[in-house]
Amino acid sequence: MKVSNRFIILLLLPASALYLTFFLVPTIQALVYSLYDWSGFGEAPRFIGMRNFQELMSDRLFWTSMGNTIAILIIGGIVIFGIAFVMTMMLSSGIRGKKFFRGVIFLPNIIAVIALTTLWGYMYTPRTGLFAAVFDALGLTELARFPWMGPDTIAAAMMIAIIWIEVGFYVVLLLAGVDKIPPDFYESAKLDGATDFQQFRHITVPLLSDVIAIGMVLWSIHAVKIFEFPFAFTGLEPNPNSYTVAVYLYILGFGQRQPIYRLGYATAVGVMLLLVVILIVLVLRRVTRREVYQY
Amino acid sequence: MAERSLKLEQAAAQSKERRKSRLQLKHVPSYLFLGAWSLFTILALSWVVLASLKTNREVFREPFSFPADPQFVNYERVWLNSQVGQSFLNSLVIVGLSVIVIIAVSAPASYILSRARFKGRGLLTMVFIAGIGIPYPLLFIPLFALLAGIKLINTIPGLILVYVSLSVPFTVYILTGFFSSLPSELEDAAVIDGATDFQVFRKVMLPLASPGLLTASIFNFIGLWNEFQLALIFIQDPGLRPLSLSLYTLKNSMTYSGDWAGLFAGVVIVVVPTIILFVILSERMISGMTLGSVK
Repeated sequence: MKVSNRFIILLLLPASALYLTFFLVPTIQALVYSLYDWSGFGEAPRFIGMRNFQELMSDRLFWTSMGNTIAILIIGGIVIFGIAFVMTMMLSSGIRGKKFFRGVIFLPNIIAVIALTTLWGYMYTPRTGLFAAVFDALGLTELARFPWMGPDTIAAAMMIAIIWIEVGFYVVLLLAGVDKIPPDFYESAKLDGATDFQQFRHITVPLLSDVIAIGMVLWSIHAVKIFEFPFAFTGLEPNPNSYTVAVYLYILGFGQRQPIYRLGYATAVGVMLLLVVILIVLVLRRVTRREVYQY
Repeated sequence: MAERSLKLEQAAAQSKERRKSRLQLKHVPSYLFLGAWSLFTILALSWVVLASLKTNREVFREPFSFPADPQFVNYERVWLNSQVGQSFLNSLVIVGLSVIVIIAVSAPASYILSRARFKGRGLLTMVFIAGIGIPYPLLFIPLFALLAGIKLINTIPGLILVYVSLSVPFTVYILTGFFSSLPSELEDAAVIDGATDFQVFRKVMLPLASPGLLTASIFNFIGLWNEFQLALIFIQDPGLRPLSLSLYTLKNSMTYSGDWAGLFAGVVIVVVPTIILFVILSERMISGMTLGSVK
């Protein structure tokens, strides 16, 4: 539609001004601050070039948190999409209660993460926790004593909870994609004697490819900045074994009980996060760029 | 052609019959898997509600019983003593105002980006939507410095400003998808009848878009109600905390007080508003969620 320039500017202005001032400008500033040594909001930043990034390369905690973030991203992503795919197929196979199951599976997505960490924290508590009580009741005393929150297993324990939370979102997304596929595609395939697996392989997967691609981009963007669950999972001081990059950044910049206030260095960690997102999006676009099926 | 469609109909009828007869066997694994998953979710959440009505002794001694004498006093205790009541009101104000402003700035911008023809429209839309991909931990430090500069740290308007600005990309993404899907006939008719640009927007398109505006409002409401990371950074005064941040504080103090029942009461208070919204509006939410991504 043709409208006057004045009108265009008037309607775009409020959103643009806010977005520019409090989102885009801080993003650019972050790129600049990452080149500075800056030890507190009252202090003057000092330019040090790439030294923050050099230090990051040999920072053990940074790599631990990056490892956890990448594990959530890739291992968590594979499991989440695997389960979501299976559930989508099950939900679209003509069972009863499709909407009910979809709703319940999606439910954790609308609950405050801090509430869910409280729940899972209690479930995992050794001896007195909910899992322990269940295993005790079943006579599985060995499992009841299992230290879910111990240093070796805490990352895995966290992953299980995150998978439980996230799966529903991708089920809803994939299911909406499947529901859009015209049913006569399957009917004619059946007429031609295609098996269930062939239908899945040659109709469902290709026609879902763009939904899958969008789902993977959304998951990647979400996964790299996961903060709340690992931060609140282990009480007052987050356990360094379950740090994600976002948690480490927060600790560096705003600290816990003993503030560290390494603002330039923390911002450099944020820049690494941005680089990871850009890298993933580029790779995914490469991998998923196929012909788009119009139907 | 007619023959083929007849065959298709027959096949459809046949497969329907066959589906009916195979209902039990073929779907058993689906019911088992989806049922087990859903049961876990429902039981876990119901358990929290029951635990919130028990004494602390009961929570540990008899984890699977019903509360002998429902302890509504748990709710009274956290609502009054732990500032959960104050936070509840804070959250209503912060989240309510944020959602109103988000929609008020994003709807006009989205309308222009999806309906007006002007140079650079595609690029501008991309710039807006790119914000979804910027991991916002990157912005913590620049935003903190910026807000400190205008004396808005530790204030409710400051937090609202951050919430609004960071929600613009996602909201514009949803709403441009919605505005583009509207038919253009009414718009054209209004122009022919001599309506001004603003009248077309305000009197014709905005009412047509109201389902989309509602969907975007629900998403933002639930997202911000549950938000905790930004509140943690920008609010220090206990009297200004939103609810999710109060729950985090409660969870930490529980480490010393051991008051699990009270903590679970806090969890229920945080969770109930979003669950009510979800139960009433889940269909709209689920169809709205896939608005932009599944076309």
